[in-house]
Amino acid sequence: MIHQRNAQPLASQGTLRLDWAAQVKDSVDRELVSKAAAGCASAFAALLETHYDTVYRMAWRWLGEREAAEDAAQEVCVKLAGAIRTFRGEAEFSTWLYRVTYSVVIDEIRARERARRFDRFDVVVLHQAHVAPSPEEEALDRELWGEVRGLPPQQRDAVLLVYAEDLSHAEAATVMGCTERTVSWHLHAARKRLRARLQAVG
Amino acid sequence: MTDHDLRRLKELPVPLPREGSKATAVNAALEAYSPSRGRLANVKPVSALFEKAQGSFALGRPTDASATAGRSKSMRYRLPMAIAATVAAVSIAVPLTLHLTKGTTPSLFGQLSQEPSSPPPLIDEQRRMEEVQVAQPQPANAPISFAAVSAPTATHRSYDRSLLPYAEKPAPRATGRVANISDGRPRDITVPATIEQGRDRFEQAPSNPVKSVSSEPVSTFSIDVDTASYAFVRRALNAGRLPQKDAVRVEEMINYFPYGYPLPEDRTAPFKPTVTVLPSPWNPSNKLVHIAIKGYDIARAERPRANLVLLIDTSGSMAPENRLPLLKNAFRMLVDTLQSDDTVGVVTYAGQAQVALEPTKIAEKHKIVEAIDRLQAGGSTAGAAGIQQAYLMAEAGFDKAAVNRVILGTDGDFNVGITNQAELKGFIERKRETGIYLSILGVGHDNYNDALMQALAQNGNGVATYVDTLNEARKVLVDEASSSLFPIAKDVKIQVEFNPTRVAEYRLIGYETRLLRREDFSNDKVDAGDIGSGHAVTAIYEITPVGSAKLVEDLRYAQPAATPTVGPQNGKGEEYAFLKIRYKLPKEEKSRLIDLPITQAFEKPAVGEAPTDVRFSIAVAGFAQLLQSEPHLKAFGYDEVIALAAVARGDDPFGYRAEFVSLARLAKTARP
Repeated sequence: MIHQRNAQPLASQGTLRLDWAAQVKDSVDRELVSKAAAGCASAFAALLETHYDTVYRMAWRWLGEREAAEDAAQEVCVKLAGAIRTFRGEAEFSTWLYRVTYSVVIDEIRARERARRFDRFDVVVLHQAHVAPSPEEEALDRELWGEVRGLPPQQRDAVLLVYAEDLSHAEAATVMGCTERTVSWHLHAARKRLRARLQAVG
Repeated sequence: MTDHDLRRLKELPVPLPREGSKATAVNAALEAYSPSRGRLANVKPVSALFEKAQGSFALGRPTDASATAGRSKSMRYRLPMAIAATVAAVSIAVPLTLHLTKGTTPSLFGQLSQEPSSPPPLIDEQRRMEEVQVAQPQPANAPISFAAVSAPTATHRSYDRSLLPYAEKPAPRATGRVANISDGRPRDITVPATIEQGRDRFEQAPSNPVKSVSSEPVSTFSIDVDTASYAFVRRALNAGRLPQKDAVRVEEMINYFPYGYPLPEDRTAPFKPTVTVLPSPWNPSNKLVHIAIKGYDIARAERPRANLVLLIDTSGSMAPENRLPLLKNAFRMLVDTLQSDDTVGVVTYAGQAQVALEPTKIAEKHKIVEAIDRLQAGGSTAGAAGIQQAYLMAEAGFDKAAVNRVILGTDGDFNVGITNQAELKGFIERKRETGIYLSILGVGHDNYNDALMQALAQNGNGVATYVDTLNEARKVLVDEASSSLFPIAKDVKIQVEFNPTRVAEYRLIGYETRLLRREDFSNDKVDAGDIGSGHAVTAIYEITPVGSAKLVEDLRYAQPAATPTVGPQNGKGEEYAFLKIRYKLPKEEKSRLIDLPITQAFEKPAVGEAPTDVRFSIAVAGFAQLLQSEPHLKAFGYDEVIALAAVARGDDPFGYRAEFVSLARLAKTARP
């Protein structure tokens, strides 16, 4: 089962507290998942309500655009509606959520690649012209995101899952559908590549 | 770039989602979740959502008090309707310069209206949701990270109705082709409640009730220039069957026909209203107020350039003669009406979307025609990918000065690819805001998804048209190409305020799915229908004058209506009503207003003295209501329709009105 280990607001309250909070949250999720799986729409709604932000944030980390991330998060929610009744437990649920979010964002990224190939029309430029730059993104952050998103796909995914989503290598491997060793290898390659770029720039 | 930098990733700020996006997502998911639909939620995408909509809408409808009241009222009135009201029909007409044909009719354009549509399940849902939450374990000092769970009211209320497209608006009626928004939030067209018969899907909309002027003096609605209903009705009758009632939409039947209503004297206004008051042919104690609008016709030379992308469904289900082959013929005809500077691109979708022709000028017409000729049906339907591809192409050729439009030709069955209809609508709506519109040509019959097509076209500022014969395709794409392609006014709304000293009751005939709230009239953020070049729009009210037998009994505790509290002032006492029309010019965002007092000067003492077009449109209104088994019609039957229409055919160059008369004859013997 996958957990986000950094329940941010709790940092100051210490680890113990954090684990306790995570346990309560798990028990709530467990109950919601089983009720939702049994057909309770309000439990399902509450579940979505709780997890939407996590899904949205993850989508944004890959896609880098608010609108696209919202679309992806919505797609995940709708997919969940179709899958929830097949869940037997909470562990399955949280893993599922990461995996589906992951596959939705990857699909979106691939669709963009295809659109880019539609180059005769210079689609990319037109398309992006409508996207307002997000003021929250500071120049530096933007550079970091740009470097990470510019990595080869699997390296990028490994980096984002491990560093941004704060998953363990094993958890990231589950989401990516590969072995833990492969994740470690991608991370290693990514770090090497980023260092090389840094030197080239600097 | 170091490991340290990477460790920062999880701390970096992520911009918050826009307000409402979470609610929209939750709502879309709940829609897909509904237990009544079983577990197939996302396996069977768009169409599945519609089925569900049907189920849950049917149950828990209105939550809002006024909506409930309105509804039960309508039911109560339904039966004792034996008395009648006067009918008032209003027509608005605009100058026509001519162009491809003489009488252009309403057709491809319009967009929609809004009206509160609401699906209520969510409201209950919310209540239950809160209960669930209360039941959750709640540590005394619950960590912030799950505030969402532990703070029910605040969080959940925050996405309460105002954010849920479905729960949002109290629905005066079962469905709403449109949802809308008076507060400027995204104009969303909600998915209507639908009924499925055979496999065609229609939304349900009980007809408008009789309203008492003393309690509700103002009636507001969006124009509608769709015409798809007529073709459905014709198809059924030609097959010897009466159409299902939900397939009959009075305003679409009326607006199918070309009318030569008067045009404005000068071009500063895109149209002008023409009003006729005449005795109701189905109830001698009532009158009809007939309101007609006709948009001027943009002369060929002044037409903006057209940047069109044809998006053609080439899935296996499109193989029959009346589908893809019909569309191919139709699009060839369309190409013939365009000018050398216009461009046409073709995208097809079956298993996947493909570019069949990159945007090509009409000057190279042979290339376009060859591309159309090459199209073949096969594969499954991935409508969403095709739509995205088509919009990409339209964006690529985007020309601010041109009309940029995607025309989707399909049998309406999206089987693969879209898991989320809200997403698709949102996409179309966003594109509309960038200036690319969508129109839909529907073909085929087993599985035509009218409700979906309407919702999509309306989100895209377009019209959904149903094409069953080549003749119909010609009407839509050739005769009416200019109205379809070149809007002259958008967001056209009509508001009528009845004078309680003259009018006791009124009933708007048709436009059930286009009703607006009173305050929406002057809210420019509320979306409404468009008028294309040469379009005619007709709206008819049946009114009961003060002193005639009323349909709605007086209230015991209210002021008797006969002692008007509103005194006649400055001669206004002679007016039946006051008509206001708001519209925006195509490139403007601020609405303009046209108003007109409806006085006795517009009154004709007998039906026979009304202009031909007015009489014909009333015959169509009568016919449509008969098909709906509308109780207000009393003894008025198909023979009366035929008698009224037969002498009101006018010059009818294309035989549309003659065809109508023969359909009315078929209806007499059709089986239910």
